[in-house]
Amino acid sequence: MTPMQQMIESAVRGQLALQRCVKCGTVQYPPRELCSTCLADQLEWRTTDTENGEVLASTMLHHSHEAAFQEALPICVGLVRLDPGPTVLCFLTESCDVGTRVRIAASNDAAGRAMLTATPIA
Amino acid sequence: MALDYGDVVICTPVTVPYVRRSEQSASWWLGTALRRLLEVSGLAKQQVDGLCLSSFTLAPDGPAPFVQYVGLSPRFLEFLPTGGACGVMALRRAARAVQCGDAEVVACIAGDTNGPETFHDLVAQFSSFSRDCVWPYGAGGPNESFALLTNHAMRRTGATREDFGKLCVAQRQWAQLNPLALLRNELTLQAYLAAPPIALPLHLFDCVMPCAGADGFLVMSRARATSLGLPCVRIIAAIERHNAFPDDPIQWRGGWAVDADALWQQAAIGPDAIDVVQTYDDYPVISMLQFEDLGFCAKDAGADFIRRNDFGPGGNLPHNTGGGQLSGGQAGAAGGFLGLVEAVRQLTGGAEGRLVPGARHALVGGFGMINYDRGLCTVAAVLAA
Repeated sequence: MTPMQQMIESAVRGQLALQRCVKCGTVQYPPRELCSTCLADQLEWRTTDTENGEVLASTMLHHSHEAAFQEALPICVGLVRLDPGPTVLCFLTESCDVGTRVRIAASNDAAGRAMLTATPIA
Repeated sequence: MALDYGDVVICTPVTVPYVRRSEQSASWWLGTALRRLLEVSGLAKQQVDGLCLSSFTLAPDGPAPFVQYVGLSPRFLEFLPTGGACGVMALRRAARAVQCGDAEVVACIAGDTNGPETFHDLVAQFSSFSRDCVWPYGAGGPNESFALLTNHAMRRTGATREDFGKLCVAQRQWAQLNPLALLRNELTLQAYLAAPPIALPLHLFDCVMPCAGADGFLVMSRARATSLGLPCVRIIAAIERHNAFPDDPIQWRGGWAVDADALWQQAAIGPDAIDVVQTYDDYPVISMLQFEDLGFCAKDAGADFIRRNDFGPGGNLPHNTGGGQLSGGQAGAAGGFLGLVEAVRQLTGGAEGRLVPGARHALVGGFGMINYDRGLCTVAAVLAA
C-alpha cells in the first residue's frame, strides 16, 4: 500500500494521518516514502481526529475542470499551515480571512480520495 | 563566481505560430521548429550536433524517439521537462556544451500540442502530489494554485487588481504590435476589471490561455554565427534554482532571491542597465515576484514598483514586449521559451514593429512546475547585444 493509500484508509475511519519521521521527527505532507528532511524511510503515522492550523491564503473557485465540481461552484479552498508543521491544501467550509484559526478533519470524497476540510474555530 | 559564457551566443529565434487547438502531435510542432531553425540559419540538419528538448505532450515518445522521428544524430541530447524554467535551463546547458566542445551547434526547442482534452489530462496527472493533494480540491488547475499565491501576495504588498491590470493591459498593447500573439484585440483596464471571476482574486484576464505552439533558438560560437551571417547576442549571466526556501509555509519569494546577487555580479551590470524585461507571466503575480526577487525593487515593494513604471510601448521599462504569455498564449513548455526568443528578437533588431530603440541588455525570467503548493523551478538570464 502506498503512503497515500494508507492516508486514505485512515480517512475512511475518520482519522487524519500525517507522516512523522522516526529518525528526525519531521512531520510531512503530502505523504511519500522517504523523509524530505533526512531521507530516512522509517516513517510512522501520527493519527488524530483533527489538526489545528492557520489559514495562509484562500480562494473562491468559480471554474473547475471536473464536472462533479462544476455543479458545486463556487468552492472555497485554502492553504492552511498545520500546527505540527506542514502546509495543506484543503476545502474551507466558509470563506475565511488570512490568519483565521481552523480545525482540519479528513474524510473521503465520492471518488474515494482523501479529502481535508477546514472549519473555523469559533 | 561561475565561469562566464565566453564567446557562446544565442541566435535565430523562431516561433511556429501558436493556435488555440491543434490536431498535430507534439513531434510535429517540435520538428517544425527544427525545420525553421535550419531554414533561418542555412545549416544542414547534420550540422546540428546538439539538441535540448522540452515538452509535456511528447509521451509516449521522449528525446531519443524524437531524434529518430526527425532524423537527427546529435552527440549532445538534453530533455528538460521543467515548464516555465526550461528556456534558460536549455540555454545554460547548450552554452556549456558549446563552450566545452561537446557540441558545436545546439538546437533548443520547446513546444506542445493542445487537443480538446490535452490540458485537462495534463493538469489532472501533472505529478503524484498534484494528482493526490491538489486536483481533488476543486480541480481548478493552475488557476487555483496561482489564486492562492496571488491572494497572499496582495496581502503582503498591498497590490490591487488595478496593479495587475496595469501589467496585463500594457502587455496587450505590445501584443497588438506582434502578429504572433494570439490575443490582439484591445484590452482596457475597465474590461480587465469587469471580467468574470475564475478563482478569486483571479479573473479571466489574469489567467494564461493554453494553446499549441513551439519556439526555438540555436546556440553556437560567435565565430560560427558570424560566418553564417546570423545576428546574435551574448549570455552575460544566468542562474537557476529548484525548490528554494522549502521551509517557507507559503511561496512569498522565489529562488531568484537566492541567486540574484550572483546574477548581477556575473553580468557586471545592475537592473537599472536593463533595457527590456521579459518576465515569466502565466499570471501577473509572478511578474511582480520577479521584479522584487531579481532586484528591480525592494522586497514587498512590488505594487509600488508597478505604479511607478510604464511597461507598455514607449514606456520607461518595456516589459514582455511580445505580449507575454498572457496575450500570446501558453503553448505548454514553449511558455518557458517565449521570453527568451522575444529578448533575442529585441536585441538583434528582429522585433519588427515593436523594437525598443537602442536596446542593449535584456533580462529573461522563468518560473516552472507547481507540483504541490508552489512553483519549484526559477531561472533568469541576462543577454547583451
